[in-house]
Amino acid sequence: MQTLILFLILISTYLMTSAKRVPALVRSFQYQSFGLFLATLIEAAREGSPGLYAIAALVFILKVSLIPRVLLAVARKIKANEDLGLLINPQLSLFMALTLTYVSWIFAGQLVSSGGEGKTMLAIAFFVVLAGLFLMIFRMTALAQVIGLCVMENGLFLLAASISGGMPFFVEIAIFFDVLVSVLIMGFFVYRINRLFTHIDVDKLTRLKG
Amino acid sequence: MPLSLVFIFGIPAALTVLGLFVRTSRPLGIAHNAGYLSVLCAAGILFKEVLFQGPCVVRDFLYVDVLSAFFILVTAVISFAASLYSTGYVKKDTGEGVISEQKARVYYTLFNLFCFSMFFCPALNNLGLLWVAVEMTTLVSAFLVGFYNKKESVEAAWKYIIICSVGIIFALLGTILFAYAYSLTGAKTLAWTDMMALAQGLDPRVLKIAFIFILVGYGTKAGLAPMHTWLPDAHSQAVAPISALLSGVLLKTAFYAILRFGMILIKAGELAYFSHLMMFFGLISLVISCGFILVQKDVKRLLAYSSIEHIGLVAVSFGLATPLAFAAGLFHVFNHAVTKAFMFFGAGNIVHAYKKRNMNSIKGVMRLLPFTGVMTLLGVFALGGFPPFSVFASEFLVLAAAFANGSYAVGGCLLLFLGLVFAAFLHHFAKMLYGHLPKGAQAQGEPLSGKAAFIFLFILMLAAGAAFAFVKEDALWITKKLFQI
Repeated sequence: MQTLILFLILISTYLMTSAKRVPALVRSFQYQSFGLFLATLIEAAREGSPGLYAIAALVFILKVSLIPRVLLAVARKIKANEDLGLLINPQLSLFMALTLTYVSWIFAGQLVSSGGEGKTMLAIAFFVVLAGLFLMIFRMTALAQVIGLCVMENGLFLLAASISGGMPFFVEIAIFFDVLVSVLIMGFFVYRINRLFTHIDVDKLTRLKG
Repeated sequence: MPLSLVFIFGIPAALTVLGLFVRTSRPLGIAHNAGYLSVLCAAGILFKEVLFQGPCVVRDFLYVDVLSAFFILVTAVISFAASLYSTGYVKKDTGEGVISEQKARVYYTLFNLFCFSMFFCPALNNLGLLWVAVEMTTLVSAFLVGFYNKKESVEAAWKYIIICSVGIIFALLGTILFAYAYSLTGAKTLAWTDMMALAQGLDPRVLKIAFIFILVGYGTKAGLAPMHTWLPDAHSQAVAPISALLSGVLLKTAFYAILRFGMILIKAGELAYFSHLMMFFGLISLVISCGFILVQKDVKRLLAYSSIEHIGLVAVSFGLATPLAFAAGLFHVFNHAVTKAFMFFGAGNIVHAYKKRNMNSIKGVMRLLPFTGVMTLLGVFALGGFPPFSVFASEFLVLAAAFANGSYAVGGCLLLFLGLVFAAFLHHFAKMLYGHLPKGAQAQGEPLSGKAAFIFLFILMLAAGAAFAFVKEDALWITKKLFQI
C-alpha cells in the first residue's frame, strides 16, 4: 500500500514537470497532495494517534482543496495566458526529472545505510523537493513559481515523515499555517504584478539591476 | 516568564492592536516611540539578567541565553531608532500625499508585526518554530518592501519573497536532517537544548550534510553571496526605516539561526568544518559586494551591497575559529546594525528630498540638508572603519584575530577589500554631499524625531567602541563559554 502511494506521488510529480498549462499543473499538484494525505492517514491508523489524524485532515483541507483552489482562482481572476512559460520543453523536462530521480536515489543512499522502504521514501521525498526547485527555475510565470514552492514543501513533509518520523505536532501545524499564509500572500503579489505589468512573466521583471 | 520578556513581546503586539483602532497616524507615532523605548529598556534588563543569572527558560518553548539576549538587544536598539525615524518620515509622506492616512496606519501595523516576529526568532528553543518565525519575518516584510506599490517595488518584493522562501525551504530541510541525526540516538526532538545536550553523540556525517543546507538556506536570508541577489532590490525599494531594519536586524536574525546550528556542530567536534564553510561564504561575499560597490550608481543599493560586505566580514570572523574572532564577530553584528541604520536614515532623507536615487544626479546635500549632510559624512567614516567609531574597533579586532591566528592571507584580503570599499564610499558620497545646489532648491528643515534617531545612534557608535575596551576580557570569557571552543 505504502509503495502504491509513493508511486502515485512519483507519477504526479513527473506529470507536473511535463505539464504545459496552469490547470494541468494544479491538478497534478492535487494528486500529489492526495498521495500525501493517504500516506498520513494510513500512518495515523497504524499508530492510532489523534495528532496524525488532525495532520492528515489538514493536508486534505489545505493542500488538496484550499491551495489549489486559491491558485486556480488567481489564474482565473487575472485572466492571464494559461501558458506556464516553459524555458525547456516537456520532453527535456521529463528527462531532467528522471536524472533528478537518480540523483535523489544516490543522495538517499548516502544518508541511510540500510535499503528497503525507508530509502525509497527518502529518495522520492528528496526528488519531490528537487522537482519543485526545477519548476521554480525553469517555468517563467509567477504562478508556476508559487506551485513550485508548494511542491518543495510537499517534498519536505514527506522527507520529515520518512526519516525522522514526522515533526512534533505543533511544529507541523505552525508550518501548515505558514505555508497557507505564504501562498495567500504570493497570490496577492501575483495579482498585483499582473495589474501593474499586465503580465506575470517573471523573466520580464528586469527593472532592478546591478 | 520574566517581566522583561513579557514587555518585549507584549508591546509590539499591543501596538499592532492599537493600530487597528487609532484613526490618525500622529498619536500612533508617539505611542510607538514610547513603546519601543520601553522595549529597549526591557531588552537591556533582560540582557543583564541573562548575563548574571544564566539562561532563562520558559517551559520547553522559550530559551534565552546570552546569545539570544544579545540579538534581542540589537533588534530593540534598531527598532527604537527606526520608530523614531518613521514618525517624521511617514509624516512627510502623508503631508505630500505620497501615501494616504489609511496607508500610514497600515505601515505602522506592519512595522509592529515585523518587529514582533524578529523579537521572537532569537528567543525560541524549538528549531522548527525558529524556522516558522524566520519565514514569518519574510512574509511580513514583503509588504513593506512592496509598500509604495510601484513597478520597481513590487518586482523587488516578488524577488524577495520567492528567493527567500526557496532558501528557507532548504533551511527546513537542514532542520529535518538535524532532527534525523538526533533520532538516530533513539529519541525525537527539535528542541535546541536537547540537541545541544547530546551533540557529542550525534552522527557527524549527517550533521555535516545538514549544516550545508542550513547555511545555504538561512544564508540566503542573511545575505551571504552568492545567494544574496534579492538583497539589493529589497533594501533599495523598502521604506527607509524598513531598509534600516532589514539590513540591521533581519539579516542578523538569519545569521543567528546559522549560529545556533553551528553551535551544535561545534560541540559535535566539527569546528574546522564549520569554520571552513563560514570562511568560504564570507570571502565570496566580500569579493562580490566589493565589485558592485565600486561601480554602483544607486545610493540605497550601495548601502545594500555594503550590508553584504559586512555580513561577509562577520562570517569570516566566525570562520577564523578563535574565541577573539567570535567575540569580534558578535561585536561587529551590533556595530554594523547601528552604523548601517544610521546610513540608511541619511540616504532615506536624501532620497526623500531629491526624489531620485542616482548618485550622479544628486549634488549639494550639505547645503540642502545641512544636518543630514554632516551626519551622513560622519556615517561614511564610521562605516568605513575610522577611529573613534565602533566599526573600527570590531574590524580591528577581527584583523587582530586573523593575524594572531596566523591567517595572514585572510587578514591581507580583509585589509584590501575594506580599503577598496572605503575608497569607493568616499568617492560616491563626496560627489553627493558637496557641489552646488540644484536650481531653485532651498535648505530644508528636518523633523526633530528624525534628528533624535540620528543622535541616538551616533552616541551608540561613539560609545560602543570605547565601552568594549573595558569589557573585552569578560566578552572573551563569555564567548568561550557560550560556543565551547
